[in-house]
Amino acid sequence: MSNQETVISSESLWPEDAAEDEAVITNWFVSEGSAVDRGTTLGEMQVEKVSVDIVANTQGEVDEIMIDEGGELSRGDPLARLMIE
Amino acid sequence: MSQQKAAERQLTMSRAMVSAIAHEMREDEEVFYMGEDVADYGGIFDSTDGLLDEFGRDRIMDIPISETAYVGAAVGAAMEGMRPIAELMFVDFFGVGMDQIYNFMAKNTYMSGGNVSVPMVLTAGVGGTYNDAAQHSQTLYATFSHLPGMKVVVPSTAYDAKGLMHNAIRDDDPVVYLFHKRLMGIGWLPAPEGPKTPVPKEDYALPFGEADIKRNGEDVTIVTLGLHVHHALEAASQLSDDGTEAEVVDLRTLVPLDEETVISSVKKTGNLLVVDEDYQSYGVTSEVISRVVEHDSDIVNNVDRLAIPDVPIPFARSMENEVLPDVDDIVASVRGMNL
Amino acid sequence: MVVVGVTQIKEMYSNMVTARHYEERLREEYLEGNQPSFDISAGPIPGELHLAAGHEASGAGICQHLDNDDTVTAPHRPHHIAIAKDIDLKRMTAEIFGRKTGLSKGKGGHMHLYDPEVGFACSGIIAEGCPPAVGAGLAAKKRGSDNVAVAFIGEGAINQGAFLESLNFASVQNLPVVFVIEDNDWAISMPKGRVTDVSDGSERANGFDLPGYRVDKDDAIEIYQAASDAIGRARDRSGPSLLEVQVHRRMGHFMGDAEGYRPDDDIEQANARDSITRIENDLESQGVASDDIEQIRSKAQNRVEEAIEWAKSQPKPDPEEAYTDMFSNPEEGVTGGKNTDNVVRGDD
Repeated sequence: MSNQETVISSESLWPEDAAEDEAVITNWFVSEGSAVDRGTTLGEMQVEKVSVDIVANTQGEVDEIMIDEGGELSRGDPLARLMIE
Repeated sequence: MSQQKAAERQLTMSRAMVSAIAHEMREDEEVFYMGEDVADYGGIFDSTDGLLDEFGRDRIMDIPISETAYVGAAVGAAMEGMRPIAELMFVDFFGVGMDQIYNFMAKNTYMSGGNVSVPMVLTAGVGGTYNDAAQHSQTLYATFSHLPGMKVVVPSTAYDAKGLMHNAIRDDDPVVYLFHKRLMGIGWLPAPEGPKTPVPKEDYALPFGEADIKRNGEDVTIVTLGLHVHHALEAASQLSDDGTEAEVVDLRTLVPLDEETVISSVKKTGNLLVVDEDYQSYGVTSEVISRVVEHDSDIVNNVDRLAIPDVPIPFARSMENEVLPDVDDIVASVRGMNL
Repeated sequence: MVVVGVTQIKEMYSNMVTARHYEERLREEYLEGNQPSFDISAGPIPGELHLAAGHEASGAGICQHLDNDDTVTAPHRPHHIAIAKDIDLKRMTAEIFGRKTGLSKGKGGHMHLYDPEVGFACSGIIAEGCPPAVGAGLAAKKRGSDNVAVAFIGEGAINQGAFLESLNFASVQNLPVVFVIEDNDWAISMPKGRVTDVSDGSERANGFDLPGYRVDKDDAIEIYQAASDAIGRARDRSGPSLLEVQVHRRMGHFMGDAEGYRPDDDIEQANARDSITRIENDLESQGVASDDIEQIRSKAQNRVEEAIEWAKSQPKPDPEEAYTDMFSNPEEGVTGGKNTDNVVRGDD
């Protein structure tokens, strides 16, 4: 069994009509090591005034949180790495 | 190992509250939610975020700005056996619907000799700290607790919020569920450390009338609720550096009030500080201290209380900060006890 | 229909561009440092801010008929009305910035502005400005003056008991009150049709025996003309009226409102019907030179800049000031809970 990984990119979550290219991580709900299902809300980021859910695209385990809570990010920055189960 | 990690998933207080509402709505089609901006907006303070998509407009109802009409309608629907949840966007708006709240919702069961019940929940956003001034910053804990006939619930964490909401909806009597705006985890009103906690996926009901000791300590009992649970915990951590260990008692429900837990804590520590985010006179601090003293005035050596003074809440930051009890105030009060 | 003279139009235009520029500048000030993460409790302007860009024609068209002895109550979106009512702009701005020399010494903020010199007050509970306006009308009647009172509300407020009770009370007492509904189609995120069963709010008058009139266009001159009738009725003691005026909301409900619930074409349509462009056209068609128009506009902008600059230079209140002004007599202080042994707060 391979240790396949996937990265959750902010690009895939960015609201279509957003004029801004910057966001802030407002909350993480999981930590490194947490088990998640596909569709689990891992956390949320704020783009302009809109709160966007950061959602797991696979079942697996959180390998790395790449931007801390409160941290700023630009559109396209990776948010978290998941190990696929 | 996987199950344990699943339980570690944390939620903001708003998401925890919403998950309880969603669960109860799935279980019972007679549960529905009425409020201003609860549909597409998901609640100004995220109290119904995401529910419209699952339940539709018939059950997540945007209603006119008519508190008397829709709170009263909730009373009526509840008397027909439904389980409505009606929301006051800000508790400060209770004035425009108060008759239906305190004269009908709260009294119908009694006035009917127990022949009718009103199984509804009245939710409301409470609290200040973000300069919303006198008409949008109140908690009014004492107002609802003082008038007989309604249960009053004040969660301070996500875990408590979900359990208390399950119980509130299932309770056959009217429950006033007051959620602090600063604790909800809203992006534009960031919460302090503390309210975001692990929350079990399954449903669970926290009984009313059970306070929760959020921190054990031997030296002083700090009794509080809502946002100030977190201020008290922060203060306790500072006091601990000086060798004073504070016990933080989170009341969780004002009606019914868990005096036993408070009294037994004071018996242990001998010192009592009550902290409240409502106007001081004739309020929560008075009540808690009175219950302790009534029980046995000899058990308490030092007693102090912190609350908002009897003034409308001022707008400018320097003044609002002055009237709101804060971590520094709590620390100063305990230090002033010279333990 | 009353003919509107050029002087009146110029004054209304001045009020409207003042209001528009004011809201645009306040938005800038409010969001200063508050990007990308918007935190309502940070930033130079404390608390919530409900800006009235798009409502200018209503404030200007109606208040043009009023003087300092007439009373106006306004809701949580008040700046355009305050400006047209000739409020002390510097002190209003200082109040919005939470400064000691603001109209309320920093105690009220943008939702609770009071300027008794010009008869203006606003408040934050929907429709609750109506009963006090009725009271001002009652005072005028008792004293035999020809003062009038005007209560401004939004279209969401017509479903609130205080409004309906006020219509009846004013009518049965024959009071000199005009109720003005500023219809911008949205009560925060709730579109009018979802919460109200009539599309013309002025029809509420029918049940209360007072005249109702709706101005469908967001047009200062039409609003002026309709208000002329209503305020005229009040002044000659023929009783209250209800006026509904169409306006539009250009900056969301409050600063921080992403308006995700509002269809894009609704926003576009609203922004396309700018009442300021209309009144500029009216001035031109009255023969006013574009230089003159530009002069009015730049004077208005300068006035706004001065007010903001002045406000920002004002001191913040001392924490101890929280304990004064609850009662009128300064000897009568706070009656409970002033914990003088607490830590006294510093500044923000």
